[in-house]
Amino acid sequence: MNTATVERMEDALARAAAREPAAFGDIVREYQAMVFSMAYHFFHDQSLAEETAQEVFLRLYQNLGRIKSPAHLMLWLRQVTHRRCIDQARRMPLLPLLALDDAPEPAVGPGRSDPLLSERLRRMVASLPEDARAVVILRYQEDLELAEIAEILEIPINTVKSRLQRSLVVLRAKVTSALEMSTHERPRE
Amino acid sequence: MKDLENELRKALERREPPPGFAKQVLARIKPAATPTPGWRGALFAFFRWPRLGWTAALVAACLLVTLGAVHYRRAQQERAEGEAAKKQVIEALHLASRKLNVTWRKVQETDRRPPRT
Repeated sequence: MNTATVERMEDALARAAAREPAAFGDIVREYQAMVFSMAYHFFHDQSLAEETAQEVFLRLYQNLGRIKSPAHLMLWLRQVTHRRCIDQARRMPLLPLLALDDAPEPAVGPGRSDPLLSERLRRMVASLPEDARAVVILRYQEDLELAEIAEILEIPINTVKSRLQRSLVVLRAKVTSALEMSTHERPRE
Repeated sequence: MKDLENELRKALERREPPPGFAKQVLARIKPAATPTPGWRGALFAFFRWPRLGWTAALVAACLLVTLGAVHYRRAQQERAEGEAAKKQVIEALHLASRKLNVTWRKVQETDRRPPRT
């Protein structure tokens, strides 16, 4: 976040705390991609992500007085989004999520970029266990350091590290096996 | 591993929510955005019709019930005192009657006795 954005958000926060709807609108527009994407990658479901993101912003509106700075706002939003996602996932145990073992293999050849690979990866991430999923999303969507992830999830940094490593091993095994399968299946030229 | 991490970064890039998302959020906060009235506002709101009417009716009903209870209790007390007084009067009359009977008998005995010579 650059200095101009920080100043703009400081101003918006002060005005929003005084219940100025336009200022709150600015805050929503600034952070909507972050919050929506976290929820989207968690559920791999657009409507659920939209609903969750709206709830996060409604909660923010109720707690505006407690937000001290744009940096605090960012941390707060990430924490609350994560918690809302976990709550939502626990309320709906029959979500149409793919188990990691049932995920369709990406049909990708070596060295070639598959337009479907990203989509398949997103599905695989969404099918990881909830705690591991949150770590992967914060690491690769938000590009956060392990210490920052540990602060958001309120867990020790070693736990973050091990969850991330295990998730990568699982994801890598799936992708590698998909690549091998695709190589064997390719017709000879 | 690095390739996978790069692929994950690409796959998990931020995406914008559907158009109109911010408007929907703002529309949902509007009903909650009504400012909470201060103590003066709350006081004025309390004394506004029809709440005042209902309150007055409730107070009047309470007053009537209290007055009725007090009146009933006082009447009960007066009746009890009257009953006690009546009992005392009757007892006094019985006593007086017994005394008069004794006196009357003595007078008659005196009359029947022959005069001394």
